[in-house]
Amino acid sequence: MSTDDFDVTAVTLKATTYGVISFLVLFNLVVLAFIFSVSFMPPSEFFGAPHIIPQNPTLEAWTSGFQELRDNLVNSFLIGLGTTIVALAISIPGAYAFARKEFYGKRAGFYAIISAMMFPYILLVIPIMDLWNDLGLYNTIPGMIIAYQVFVTPFAIWILRDFFAKLPTDIEEAAQVYGCTQFTAFLRVILPLATPGIVAVGFLAFLTGWNDFLFANLLTTGTGPVPAVPVLYGTIGGGSGERVYWGKLMAETLIIGTPPTILYLVARNYLENAFTV
Amino acid sequence: MSTQNRFDLEDWASSYRDTLSENWFAYLLILPVLAFLVLLMWLPFAQGFYMSFNDWPFGGDPTWVGLENYLFLFGWEPFFTSLRATLVFSLTTVLQLGVALVAALAVREIRRGKSFITGVFLISYTVPPLVTGTIWAYLLQPDLGPLFGYLSQWGLLEETIYWGSDGAASLGVILFVTTWTFWPFMFLIISASLESIPEELYESARMYGAGRVQTFLRVTLPQLKSAILVALSIRIIWNMTKISQVLQLTNGGPGYDTSILAVLLYRFAYGQGRMGVAYAVGVILLIMTIGFVFVFIREFERTSEGPQ
Repeated sequence: MSTDDFDVTAVTLKATTYGVISFLVLFNLVVLAFIFSVSFMPPSEFFGAPHIIPQNPTLEAWTSGFQELRDNLVNSFLIGLGTTIVALAISIPGAYAFARKEFYGKRAGFYAIISAMMFPYILLVIPIMDLWNDLGLYNTIPGMIIAYQVFVTPFAIWILRDFFAKLPTDIEEAAQVYGCTQFTAFLRVILPLATPGIVAVGFLAFLTGWNDFLFANLLTTGTGPVPAVPVLYGTIGGGSGERVYWGKLMAETLIIGTPPTILYLVARNYLENAFTV
Repeated sequence: MSTQNRFDLEDWASSYRDTLSENWFAYLLILPVLAFLVLLMWLPFAQGFYMSFNDWPFGGDPTWVGLENYLFLFGWEPFFTSLRATLVFSLTTVLQLGVALVAALAVREIRRGKSFITGVFLISYTVPPLVTGTIWAYLLQPDLGPLFGYLSQWGLLEETIYWGSDGAASLGVILFVTTWTFWPFMFLIISASLESIPEELYESARMYGAGRVQTFLRVTLPQLKSAILVALSIRIIWNMTKISQVLQLTNGGPGYDTSILAVLLYRFAYGQGRMGVAYAVGVILLIMTIGFVFVFIREFERTSEGPQ
């Protein structure tokens, strides 16, 4: 054991380990701290020498940011929630069938769904724009909720099938012996046991609805229910041409970024299980 | 002969009915998700593919033009700029894998504070990409942004760099921001799979006197193979279609220097309303991604089976 103390590789390895971790952690924390502090600076402080502590802290950026985004945040929330509900409603039964039923065409059906994960979604935007225009779904919240199912359901089936498949084989029959029907056995025995997978999928679905830019920007116009993310794009990337007040913009990034981060912290234990390949 | 035939047909029909009646419940369960994917993915894709052979203004009627959209692209200088940008940009997947692998191996070594550390790592991934794009657009802003501000204040830089007007520098910025944003996804998958490697494997490696490098190459890496394969395939495709940060940081410019194919598609569709050309770009992008994934999977299979 005593040779361990003089093992040069072990020491370098340890140093590298802590070096890598501190670097990555500090990198993220410094960025975050900077954005946070900048969001309290009045517009005039953005000129001149850079500094991290605001000299005349003000809440102006936060209040005007909230005001500007209020309706959009509500839209984002409705879209995220709707995406989650629809995704769970259609992928739980599907994943259950793929995991626990034997039927003709099972493999083919499963791969048809999973391969959708490998599809570059940007290719769908144009035809869906056109289709939504014809169906009256363009520029509506339900239109976006339905469109996001393309992103979410393949991933959801992939994760949930694993969870359902891991449960003991005879568990439904055991429940039926105790007087459950096939359906109540599913509802009262299988579903509760698959909660971790369902939480993980629900989180990913909400994240998709809340975070997405592509569909959010292309399936809405200024007149409809615009979610929060495209508003940020409109301020700089879209190039409205007016001078950007960075303090307000940074407050807005924090406002939009906080809900998914909190949800992640709540759901993280479930997520790490879900990602075991 | 004819009775024989009818017999077969009846046989076939009844077995068909049997399959259906035995499995109707299972079919009912998968019907919604299949219907969604057919209606939302395969049909729109088929329509779009057809439209790439048409002149198709947004909201207007298409006119058949054959291969003209494709011919236009291949005779158009910026298209090759865009192709080159796409190839450079695809490096982000490799960078993401590198950071994720190193981080996952490092986190495995430590005992305390794991949950805090992974929590901090994941921030850049949970926040909307456009939000992180906006944050970096500010941090790297040449005149008012803090990064160049500090660098010139500390005398490390003579004067600020206007990277937005330099194609190579813009591409570098985009590579950096994309990598920073998306590596945690690979980290999640790799570290989940790292945790599930049985400890006995390491013990027996130690018993046979394997060194650290050997243990890594012979135990860790093969066990991670499928996780890396899945993570890389997904990320290759997803990275190629991420446009929000590119649009926010450079808008595809200067010129077309940072217009990766997905951004080019967006510019044709949204900026000019030329849906047919935009979809032709999309078809080329699809072929390229399939090519990437195919080559990569083949190489991966070959190298991981070779030395054993």
